[in-house]
Amino acid sequence: MLTAVKNQFKITLLSVKYALQREMLNKFTFFSNIIFMIINNGCFLIQWIILYSLRDGIGGYSFRQILLLWGLAAGTYGFSHFFFKNSYGLSSAINEGRLDNYLVQPKNVLLSLITSNVDVSAMGDILYGYIMIFIYGFEIKTFLLYTLFMVIGGIVLTSVAIIWGSLAFWFGKVDMVANTMNGLPTSFATYPDGIFKGFIKLLFYTIIPIGFASYMPIQIITDFNIYYFFVVISVTILFVILAFLIFYKGLKRYSSSNLMNVRV
Amino acid sequence: MSVIKVKNLSKTFKVKLKEKGLKGSLKSLVKPKYKIIKAVKDISFEVEKGEMIAFIGPNGAGKSTSIKMMTGILFPDKGSIDILGLDPSKDRKKLAYEIGCVFGQKEQLWTHLTPYDNFKFFGAIYDIPNSIVEKKIKELNELFELDEFINTPVRNLSLGQRIRCEIVASLIHEPKVLFLDEPTIGLDPVVKENIRSLIKRMNKEYKTTVVLTSHDVGDIEKLCKRVIIVNKGQIVLDDTMENLKYHYLNKKIVEAKMNKEVNLDDEEGITILKDKGYNLKIEVDTKKKSVSDAIKLLNPDNIVDINITNIPLEDIISDIYKDGDE
Repeated sequence: MLTAVKNQFKITLLSVKYALQREMLNKFTFFSNIIFMIINNGCFLIQWIILYSLRDGIGGYSFRQILLLWGLAAGTYGFSHFFFKNSYGLSSAINEGRLDNYLVQPKNVLLSLITSNVDVSAMGDILYGYIMIFIYGFEIKTFLLYTLFMVIGGIVLTSVAIIWGSLAFWFGKVDMVANTMNGLPTSFATYPDGIFKGFIKLLFYTIIPIGFASYMPIQIITDFNIYYFFVVISVTILFVILAFLIFYKGLKRYSSSNLMNVRV
Repeated sequence: MSVIKVKNLSKTFKVKLKEKGLKGSLKSLVKPKYKIIKAVKDISFEVEKGEMIAFIGPNGAGKSTSIKMMTGILFPDKGSIDILGLDPSKDRKKLAYEIGCVFGQKEQLWTHLTPYDNFKFFGAIYDIPNSIVEKKIKELNELFELDEFINTPVRNLSLGQRIRCEIVASLIHEPKVLFLDEPTIGLDPVVKENIRSLIKRMNKEYKTTVVLTSHDVGDIEKLCKRVIIVNKGQIVLDDTMENLKYHYLNKKIVEAKMNKEVNLDDEEGITILKDKGYNLKIEVDTKKKSVSDAIKLLNPDNIVDINITNIPLEDIISDIYKDGDE
């Protein structure tokens, strides 16, 4: 069992490594994608600088917490899109019959599929997240907690993407639904949760789970809370289990296709 | 000993029906209609160890669906599959260590990597220790003559070279059964011949059981001793290549160059295929008329040149497909 997990981990890392090598073939595109993503994220911060120059404490967040919020939003997004890019194209992979090659290999189909491509610009998001942490104020504890929650938040976002994408096994073309639902956490994650009330807030702890990917981790980083910590860890495990269950349940309905495929 | 046992296998697909035009699209949006397509209907067969069988049929006959069920890609609706004692739908991972697959239309190699790096990656997928992978790559490199391009990125290889690499990648873990789905699709005749002889050599060397699907009669004729023909989801013929030729080759083509015109209209057992005065091409049904009787009708004294050939295997297979359609 342990060897199997070790081997699966080795293949996952190899896949990411090879996918990264592919992206590095064009030096200019590789570096420009990363740099422009950092600039792109930086531009959004200007509006918050202006807002905080007009008034303090928006939605219960100080400006430093806004930096943390932006850092974590970019970091979780970046981690998920860099390591698990294909989870965001899962519905088209299912509809176009692109799971065949993974199904004839003795490895986990879902992991093999989602790690076989990387989004280089997402490296810019990860770097941007760390830049925000340094501006927020570098401390070992903050750095470690941030890194942990970047990974955890990334896993939550990936699980959600897998759940929405897997609906393609039942409903066919769900790309639009999946894209919208995957985009919502990113749209909301850069606003302080204090400005949202009632039903919207409920969504953050259910189908748009940025409560667990962003808001609770920020509370933990700024003021460590063991109860919140275990809630975040437990919910993440639940999301992962749910994603795997739904994917493998749907896999029995997979109908493949005879479209020509090339692994590029 | 049977390594593949397929019993009463069936698979259906639900396909959405749509009438033509925008109106049709709107109609199917409001009230969708579905059609159940029986892709595979109750097929059964067994394959012995080391056998090379051709699994053929026209487009949409159900051959790819059957292969996909045998490899664990698709789940069957009914029936059972036993590959080396494993059920593909329950033991997919275990089975993957025992089988190899090459899908001519689906590339599994990383195109930016060299074949050598790809083979190492496949070695890792099958948990093979590095030293053994190296040895295996060396061995397969010799067998499949990859030396020239083993260190060239896959995207820069010709289609023939790529297919050779795809086959080698599927053999890294020494599979006991190899599924080749149209391995020679899109290749020129010389490269096709080369791939065929390499597959033959591999089968001889490793005693690998091969299940081959192809639309190319040359592949089937030159590689396989047994042929299973499927049409409309059912097996319409399961026989040795020898029997197929023997039973279906009861027709001969006679091409004759004459010095006098001959009239063979209304002759029983003779179909005129081409009549250009002194050049005649006829098909003789040997069940009704012997070839020598047909030649007597032509009158040997009037024959300048004569050529007697079998009906091409391609035509025989097409006839079997058509019989299945009726």
